[in-house]
Amino acid sequence: MFTTGSKLLIGSALAATVAAVIYGLTLDGAMGTVGLVAAAVALWFLAGVNAVVRDANVFETDDASVNASAAAHPRPGNSLWPLALALGAVVVAIGLVTQQTYVVIGFVLVGAAGAEWMVQAWAESTSSDAEFNEEVRERVMQPLEFPILGAAVIGILVYAFSRIMLWLSKEGTVVLFAVVAAIVLAIAAIIAMRPSVRTGAIGGVLAVGAILVIGGGVAAGIDGQREIHEHETVDGLSEEGICESPDEFEADEKASQTIAIKQGIAAEITLAGDGTLSFDVPGPSGQGATALTLPRSSTVNIAFINESDHERRLSLDHGTEVVQTEDGGEEEIPNQTCTTLVEDGGSQLMTFKVDLPSATAPDGYFFFVPGVDTALLEVVVP
Amino acid sequence: MTPKRPEAAHEIRTESQPVQIVKQLTSRTSVRIGAVATLGAVLVGCAQDAPQDTWDPAGPSAQKIHNLQWPVFAVAGIVGLTVLSVLGFIFFRYRDRGQPIPEQSHGKPALEIGLTILPALILIGVAIPTVGTLFALNDFDDTDCVVNVTGQQWWWEIDYPAQDGCGGIETPIVTSGQMVIPTNTSIVAQVTSRDVIHSWWIPRLNGKKDAVPGRVHQVKVEADEPGIYAGQCAEFCGLSHANMRMEVVALDPDDFATWKAEQLAEYESPTDELALAGEATFVAQCARCHQVDGLTDAAGEPIISRPDENVWSGAAPNLTHLMSRNTFAGATFDLLDAECRPEVWEAPPEEFGERYLAGVDAECLNEPELRSWLRNAPLMKPMYTDPEKLGPTDGLVRGMPYLALSEDQIDELIAYLLDRQ
Repeated sequence: MFTTGSKLLIGSALAATVAAVIYGLTLDGAMGTVGLVAAAVALWFLAGVNAVVRDANVFETDDASVNASAAAHPRPGNSLWPLALALGAVVVAIGLVTQQTYVVIGFVLVGAAGAEWMVQAWAESTSSDAEFNEEVRERVMQPLEFPILGAAVIGILVYAFSRIMLWLSKEGTVVLFAVVAAIVLAIAAIIAMRPSVRTGAIGGVLAVGAILVIGGGVAAGIDGQREIHEHETVDGLSEEGICESPDEFEADEKASQTIAIKQGIAAEITLAGDGTLSFDVPGPSGQGATALTLPRSSTVNIAFINESDHERRLSLDHGTEVVQTEDGGEEEIPNQTCTTLVEDGGSQLMTFKVDLPSATAPDGYFFFVPGVDTALLEVVVP
Repeated sequence: MTPKRPEAAHEIRTESQPVQIVKQLTSRTSVRIGAVATLGAVLVGCAQDAPQDTWDPAGPSAQKIHNLQWPVFAVAGIVGLTVLSVLGFIFFRYRDRGQPIPEQSHGKPALEIGLTILPALILIGVAIPTVGTLFALNDFDDTDCVVNVTGQQWWWEIDYPAQDGCGGIETPIVTSGQMVIPTNTSIVAQVTSRDVIHSWWIPRLNGKKDAVPGRVHQVKVEADEPGIYAGQCAEFCGLSHANMRMEVVALDPDDFATWKAEQLAEYESPTDELALAGEATFVAQCARCHQVDGLTDAAGEPIISRPDENVWSGAAPNLTHLMSRNTFAGATFDLLDAECRPEVWEAPPEEFGERYLAGVDAECLNEPELRSWLRNAPLMKPMYTDPEKLGPTDGLVRGMPYLALSEDQIDELIAYLLDRQ
């Protein structure tokens, strides 16, 4: 008696009517009741119209009408791009209230999905042959899709692998890297020796590998990185007295000690075997003074050359500075800059900037070498 | 096989009347534009008494460059004229008169090889003296004196490190804008920068040398005769790049010794009442950035400026002996008025030292411009000092800011600065 579409609408109208009655009686909400009544009236109206026109069905025996109608053409394929576009819009909205990164990702998704959707729609309008239409779409989009997708897959794999490596212990990363490399080599060797291996089998192995890496990466990313100890630097330890110590600190371990710079430096300072410090201004040789003059508030590069028989560091004492103590007080400590320990015969660059004239320090500014009392060199900052 | 002769070779082409009219008009216009351009090119090279004339060397380094550039220009000129003449001849001789297109051919090995070898030989001929000059300009073995030159937006600091050179300097001297050197002395400028890349260039004494933060580059500065040699920053360095000027002042060695002694003279507080008030104003308003060596506070402690806390580059000109130099604000403005300036700048070499060392007194002071500068410096020279636009520099200025000084304070400061001889 009732057509399919009418049943759906009558059901909906009935539900809206019941809801309006219940809402009106129990919750006493005027606006809600009005809204539900309005919805019920609209649905009853649509149900009535639909029942009268019998779901707008063309009579099945009317072949001419059926064959000439738009519905006679093959319907376009299902498209997921509207869904992707909507997802992008949601990501943009989330990004607007959380992080800017999501806004960018959302816009990229919206742009890509929009472009794909438009090209797909355009391709589907080229002919009534779905296969031909798909070929048209592929010809336009695949030169873009393959490289972008390839880069994205590689990026995801690399990122996932990096999460795994950062999650494992330092020793574990070595083992895992060796194992993975061995597996890749073994699989490649098998494929090389047995060219008859089915493509599907190779694809399956690769897919399993990719799933393992991505899955592992997700799990590792959620669990977080292992505790990574930040390597101390000379800057970080200068306040703790490293610049006055001839001993080795963590900052000295594996520090680069050989420099190639020969030009552009303000001076070369050499620690001789007899424990004296001397300086030489590269290029011109007219300075000939016992004190090294350096400009104020200017970044200066000094090359330190260690010609003594021991590992030594060069330190610069340029007055004092006030630092906050742990208990919230203030403490005046020597303002020092230094190199890491430099091996015998090695050289290292020291970069620093001095903002105040040397006359502001009671003892002036001076270079010194911890552990070598005779190694002193006056610095004048006018 | 004989190449097929193009059919066009047998055609006699004719042009429509509109095309001929356009060609005639174009031809006349081209001739006029060419004439004006040639005249302009000739006239721009006719500046009289140009202070930054690379063709008027005044020192050995500039002379070396000059000795190189003449033959190089001569060779380039001959090559250029030859090429243009041949082109002109070909354009005229084979111009389009509707004649058939001649037979086309491909390849002429003898000509091609010749036209490859000839330029190569010319370039080798130019390269030999060029490389020799480059090495000579960078030979610092005869250095007698070292001067540090530090560029920052938009002025140059000149400091003389303690050394045996320059007749001996026991205490460093810091000045700005004008590098004072003894004549006939091989000076090496150690050029660097505190903020962005600048370029030191005194055209009559030597070529350009880039001032790069964190690096020190050497360039020779040597003048044959006493006088002032003008220059300017040659690397675009921001808003007031065009106003970043400098001078090298060459003095006889005896005059240079006098200048050194004056620069190292003990600071004396002014005795004049107005200037004394100016000292207090200077301490309150200017000493945050500008150093005056020897200036002390009420407790007798030295007043040390902290430009690093106020200025992006971390430096401001040392004003201890401002009136011993005759320009200010990055050598952009004269401290000497229009009447006195020529007496120093155009003084004959034998009288120059005495006139320069006289400094700037009240009678010769270019007071209007100094007053305007103190009243509102950013109006005189474009700088980044607007407090509302200092976000990128964490509130640090680039240049001298507007200090809202009263006219009385300006009077006091001028009196005090006049005392900085």
